[in-house]
Amino acid sequence: MTPEIEVKNLNFYYTGGVHILKNINMIVYKNQVTALIGPSGCGKTTLLRCFNRMHDLYAGNKYDGEIIFQGQNILSKETDLIALRSKIGMVFQKPTPFPMTIFENIAYGLKLRGIKNKGELKSRVEKALKDAVLWEEVKDKINTNAFGLSGGQQQRLCIARALAVEPEIILFDEPTSALDPISTGKIEELIISLKGRITIIIVTHNMQQAARISDWTGFMMLGELIEYDKTDKIFTVPSNKLTEDYITGRFG
Amino acid sequence: MILKKRKITSSIALFVCFLTALWGIFWLSFIIIDVLRHGITAITPSLFFNDPAPPGEEGGGLRNAFIGHLLITIFATLIGVPIGVLGGTFLAEYGRKYNISKVISTLADIMVSVPAIIIGAFIYAIIVKPLGHFSGWAGSIALGIIMIPTVLRTTENMLSLIPWTLREAAFALGAPYYKVIIQVVYRGAATGILTGIILAIARVTGEAAPLLFTAFNNNYFSLDMSQPIASLTVTIFQYAMGPYEEWHAQAWGAALMITVFILFATITGRLLIKRRYKD
Repeated sequence: MTPEIEVKNLNFYYTGGVHILKNINMIVYKNQVTALIGPSGCGKTTLLRCFNRMHDLYAGNKYDGEIIFQGQNILSKETDLIALRSKIGMVFQKPTPFPMTIFENIAYGLKLRGIKNKGELKSRVEKALKDAVLWEEVKDKINTNAFGLSGGQQQRLCIARALAVEPEIILFDEPTSALDPISTGKIEELIISLKGRITIIIVTHNMQQAARISDWTGFMMLGELIEYDKTDKIFTVPSNKLTEDYITGRFG
Repeated sequence: MILKKRKITSSIALFVCFLTALWGIFWLSFIIIDVLRHGITAITPSLFFNDPAPPGEEGGGLRNAFIGHLLITIFATLIGVPIGVLGGTFLAEYGRKYNISKVISTLADIMVSVPAIIIGAFIYAIIVKPLGHFSGWAGSIALGIIMIPTVLRTTENMLSLIPWTLREAAFALGAPYYKVIIQVVYRGAATGILTGIILAIARVTGEAAPLLFTAFNNNYFSLDMSQPIASLTVTIFQYAMGPYEEWHAQAWGAALMITVFILFATITGRLLIKRRYKD
């Protein structure tokens, strides 16, 4: 197992100095699925959004500590956010198709990277849609508006869009919380199929989901990473009392 | 008992809404039918292809006013729309952090309701007077200024309606902000922005007062924007006040053509949007 991301003494503050993440230390392993679980407001989404510096879009946020990715501290001022975000993709809670056709949605990220060749665009779009197990459903309507798809299909479209640019890491922020069980199942299968090729960090409210799909699980509470270990261990023999109480459903 | 009361309140509210809608539609159709009834007889080829003839002489037209009006409106749009759209983009996107944006928004809201004649007088003071003569350019600038606040505010509002998650999704793919705006946010807001532009054009197409102070009028055919130039609205004003029967008829015809133009512009806009976003 090679480490992909190393988080060292990470603290994060929202506007006005509100202390959200407290001294987080963890290692995310390459090509494995890492789940972040914990009660609402524990900071798991906040932590996830540190990895692609999404917090920079809003004024007043402050990072402290280090996140080492490919030998660089991505929290440093010199980090090229555009380059960083092209290596670390993200899928959001609600599907976020762009107001364009299915093809254009997937091609968008490729075009941003300067790919203009029609044939190459076409084959990469097709490959991304196949990887996201959406190709069979949309191949006949690839030039129609992406809003015509169902919620689950839209979410897989967003995953395909993230996959198309071949990132090292994809961040999933509760990707199935707005979806029905069947769509959720499809997305879980998809995430499992990506194991071994791409590093995945997923925030989820659903503990069973974390148990089903992840290799590593981090349990967070009140801005602290209470326990971080192999998923098997967290869900069978957690070493922390709080983790045990949470996974057995005593709170949260 | 309570349920019954609610049902009664609901039907009263529905009835009042229905009546007010009817009241509005009645006057609207009254005006349109009246314009149509009087205007239709004046629509002859000579109205479009001939210049004004002396009163009493047959075959006079308003070619000068049609062309002048078109020129003034086109240049006004070229002035007003870019400033309005870019300004609105600044307010909704880059300017969110600054307090000055709120001040600008409020001022634009006030500007929307400033009587157009004041804009006309303003342009008269800063352009017409120093240059010493009326001109088509002054008319276009006046109408352009009238367009700016409408376009600016609609653009700002439409951009604000685009959910932030959509921008985040584009940022997460590694897009720089200007590309996020141009390629994603504008596409999502295109319908609204275009509607705002069409409404603004429709509004200035019907303005007479600011043109009276700026472009003035011209009884001869002219394409020279640096000289006084005729417009339909000023011509309608002049002809409707005039003593001659054929002037009145031509004014009705011009009024009908402006109405038809606005209708046509709106429909074209809608169709364009539909074609682009058809499923």
